[in-house]
Amino acid sequence: MTSYSKEVLGDLAAGKLPWPQTRRIMSAYKDDDRFFKMVAVYQDRVAWKDPILLPVSDHLFICQSGDERITRCECGHSFGDYRKNWKLKAAIIVRNTEEALREIYPNSDIPDPQWMEIREFICPECGTMHEVEAAAPGYPIVHDFEPDLEGFYREWLGKPL
Amino acid sequence: MLDKPASALRLRERLIESERLMEETGCYDGITELHLRNQDPLKFETLHTKLRAYCVSAREMARRISASPGVREVGEMVVAIYTPEGDAIALSNGIMVHVHTMSRFIKWMIKNNYEENPQIREGDIFANNDAFIGTVQVPDVMDVVPIFHEGTLVGWAGAVCHELEAGGITPGGDVCLAQERFTEGLFVCAEKIGENDEIRRDYVIRCERNLRMPIYWVLDEKAKVASCIDMRESVKQLISEIGLDYWMKVSKEFIEEGRRAQLARTRQLTVPGIYRGHTFYGHVTAGKPGFQLLGDPDWLYNIPIEMEITTDGKITMDFEGTQPWGYHSMNCTPAGMDGGMFVTLTQHMNFEGLVNDGAWMATELKLPHGTWTNPDNEMVATATSWALLLPAYGVFQRLLSRGFVARGFVEEAFVGQVNSPMIEMGGESQYGTPFGMAHFECAAAGSGALAIADGLDTAYVGWNPESDMGNIEVWEQSMPMVYIGRSIVPNSGGAGKYRGGCSFVSTWLINKTSHLRLHTSEHSSRVFDNGGMCGGYPAPTCQKHRAVRNSNIHELAAKGEPLAHAPGIDPHVSDYEKNIGGDHVLVEGPYITLPHKSGDIFSHSYNGGGGYGDALERDPIKSAWDVENGYLTREAATQVFGIVLKDDADGYPLADIDATVERRAAMRKQRLAKAIPVSDWIDAERSRVEKADFAPEVKKMYASAIKLSSRFTKDFSEFWTVDAKSIFMPGAKP
Ligand SMILES: [Zn+2]
Repeated sequence: MTSYSKEVLGDLAAGKLPWPQTRRIMSAYKDDDRFFKMVAVYQDRVAWKDPILLPVSDHLFICQSGDERITRCECGHSFGDYRKNWKLKAAIIVRNTEEALREIYPNSDIPDPQWMEIREFICPECGTMHEVEAAAPGYPIVHDFEPDLEGFYREWLGKPL
Repeated sequence: MLDKPASALRLRERLIESERLMEETGCYDGITELHLRNQDPLKFETLHTKLRAYCVSAREMARRISASPGVREVGEMVVAIYTPEGDAIALSNGIMVHVHTMSRFIKWMIKNNYEENPQIREGDIFANNDAFIGTVQVPDVMDVVPIFHEGTLVGWAGAVCHELEAGGITPGGDVCLAQERFTEGLFVCAEKIGENDEIRRDYVIRCERNLRMPIYWVLDEKAKVASCIDMRESVKQLISEIGLDYWMKVSKEFIEEGRRAQLARTRQLTVPGIYRGHTFYGHVTAGKPGFQLLGDPDWLYNIPIEMEITTDGKITMDFEGTQPWGYHSMNCTPAGMDGGMFVTLTQHMNFEGLVNDGAWMATELKLPHGTWTNPDNEMVATATSWALLLPAYGVFQRLLSRGFVARGFVEEAFVGQVNSPMIEMGGESQYGTPFGMAHFECAAAGSGALAIADGLDTAYVGWNPESDMGNIEVWEQSMPMVYIGRSIVPNSGGAGKYRGGCSFVSTWLINKTSHLRLHTSEHSSRVFDNGGMCGGYPAPTCQKHRAVRNSNIHELAAKGEPLAHAPGIDPHVSDYEKNIGGDHVLVEGPYITLPHKSGDIFSHSYNGGGGYGDALERDPIKSAWDVENGYLTREAATQVFGIVLKDDADGYPLADIDATVERRAAMRKQRLAKAIPVSDWIDAERSRVEKADFAPEVKKMYASAIKLSSRFTKDFSEFWTVDAKSIFMPGAKP
C-alpha cells in the first residue's frame, strides 16, 4: 500500500517537493492514510491547539473548539459555527469601479463594473485573502462548502468525530 | 432483410431491459457480481488493456488518413468501442467528451427502431452531428459501425472528428452567427451513410455541395470509417479467441467495474457534502451585422452549480437557477452536458480504473428544463455550446478540487478549465479558391493553477486533455494569413500564490486575398467567465479584439521599421496603434464585421486560467522569473503580488526579498484598513437590491432566473431579506 511520511506530505502541501517526486505521487496509487497525516501536517503548522477536523481552504480549517465546531483561520481567528457560511463573518473589499478593478488587472481588458464585481473575502485579523468571488452586482454570496462532517468520519473514515 | 441479433430479445427490448436492470439492482445491466474479474483478474485486466490498445492504435492510424489540420495536428478525434446497447467499454485518448455523446447516438437509433428501418446490418455505416440525438455541436460529426459475430450484433465501433467547416451561416464549425438550428450548417441526423464498408456516393455528393471546404469533412469520414473497421476487426478477432459468451459478459463487467471504481474514487478522494460555485458569461451582439433581433441582443448568463456528494460516493450536479436558452448558438443539449461531465471525470477522478461509461453512470446531472442546459425547444442552435459548457465545467473542477483539498489530496486540486475562444474564417483563400476553416490553435489555453504549482501555460483545454496549438507553418498552409506574432499574454493567468497558466495571442497579416471573413466565438464580454480558488483571482477573460485595416505594414517592412507583434501591455493604446499606421479597430464581443483583405492585421487572444491562494504568498523568485520571461508585467508583480523587483547587473529582474516582505506587510495592513465587515456590506447593498439599481442585463438575468427557479428565488430573497419576485418581476403573481 502506498504511504508517505509526514515530512514528504508537508513539503507537498507547501509546494516544496521537487517536481519529479510530485509527479510520481500524482501518478501513483493514492495513499489511504493521507487524510489524518495531512491533518497532522496542518496541526503542526497552526499555533493553536484546537484539533483540526477538516481543512476547507488554503488557510481555513474546521476544528473542535470546546463543545463547538468552528471554522478557524490559520492565524486563530474564529469565523463561528462551521455549518454557517464563514464568509458572512469575514471582511470584504468589493472592486466595482474601473479604477479598483484596474489595480488587480493593470494590463488587461477588465470587466464592466455594471456587469461584474470582484469580491475579496479577508480574515479581519491577519488580512489573509481566503476567497475571491467574481459575480454580478447583487448576486448573493456563495456558501462554498457544507461538508457532511458526521457522515465523512462515520462512513468513510470509520472513526467517531 | 433484417439481421436479427441471435439473442431472443431485439436490441430495443434489450436496451429497455438493461435500463430496467440498472434501475432495479443499481448495477449496470443487473451485474451485481464481477464473476469474470474474480475468476481471473489478470485475464480481465489484460483484455481491457487490449481493447484500449485497439482504440489508441485505430485513432493514430486514422489521424494519418485525415486531411484536416484539426485532426492531424491538434488531434481533434476520439474513438471508442461499445456494447450492443451503446455503452462505452473502452476508448482512445483525444476529444473524450464525445465518448458518451456517441453512446447517446447509438441508443437513439435503437430506441427509434432503426432495426426495422433503415435496418442495422453488417457493413453499415451510420453518421450523426445532431446534438439533440447525441453530439455537442454541429462540427462534431460521428460515425459508428455495428460489430457482428456470426450474425449476432455484439457491439459497435465509433469515431468522432471535430470538422473545421460545417457549412453554416458563418464559415467554420462553431457557427457563431447561428441563432436557430437552420443556420448551423449541414446536419446528418442519425443517417445510414454507407453499406458494405463503403461510404455512399450520394452522401459524399451532399457533403461536397453543402460545405465550404468539403475535403476536410469527407476525408475525415474516410479516416473515421477506417478506424471503426480497424477496431471492429480487432474485436472480431478477439471474440474468436475468447468466445462470444465470454465477450458478451466481460464487456458488461468492464462497465460495471468502471461504475464501481468511480464511486470508490469519490469516496477515496473527496469529502461528502454540498459544494457550490458559479461563473458568468457575457454575450454582447447589439448592433453587430448579421444578428437578427429574435431576442435581446445582449445577455448576461449566470451559471450556478450545486454539487452534492453523498456517502455512497455518488456525485450529483444541479444547474438550477441558470438562464433560459436563447436565440444564439450557445445553447447545449443534455448530450453535450453529459459529455462535459464524462470528460471531466476521466481526467480528474477515473485515472486509475477502467475508463468507460461506468464512470458516467456513477453520477447524475440535474438539467432544468427550459434552460440553456436542456432547451425545451429542439430548433435552438448549439454550434457554440462550448461558450457556456467550458466555464460551467471549470466550476465543476473547482468544486471537486475543494473536495480534494479537504481530503488532503492537494496534488489533485486544480482551479479548472477556461473557455478557449475560436477564430473561424472563409472567403477567398491564398490560392484564389473559395474556402472555409476553423482555426484550432485554441486547443491550447492556459489551465487553472494547482494547489501546489502554477497552471500550465498554453497547454490545456477541458475537452481534450492532449492539448496542442499546432504548428504555425501548418496553419499558414490552410489560410490566407501569415503569422507576425504568437506570444504569451502577460498577466493572463489569474494571480495567486500559484498563478493560473498563461494564454497566448496571435497576430496575423492578411495575405493574398481580396475577401476574408473572420469571425470569433466563445469570448465572454464584460465579465470574466472563470474563477480563482482559495484566495486566487480569476483570469482576465473578457478580451476585446484589435485589428488594423489598410495597414502600412508593407511600407514599414520595406523601410526596416519596427512592427508590432502583439497588442502589448497598455490596455488603452495597443502596440499596433503605436507602431503601425492604418484604421485601428477595437471590437467587443464576437468579431463579426466586414470582410478583410490583404494588408489588414488581426489579432486574437486565448484565455488563461484562474489562480490559487493569496497572491501575497507568491514566491517572489518565481515572479521575477515570470517578469523576465514575459508572463507577468512589473506593474502587476508590484501592485498585485507585492513583489519589489530590482535589476541585476545585466538588467534582469531580481526579487528584493526584504523589501518584498516589508511591502506585503504594508499591503495586508492596507487591506484591513480598506475592508469592511461583510454584514455591513450586506446592509448597505440591500438598498441597491431593493431598488433593483442594476444594469438592464443584470436585472433581466435575475428576472429570468427567478422565473425558472423557485430555489433561486428563495435563496436570493433569504440572502438579502427581500422579496425577489416583487423587485425583479413587478406585476407578476406572487
Ligand atoms: Zn486570519
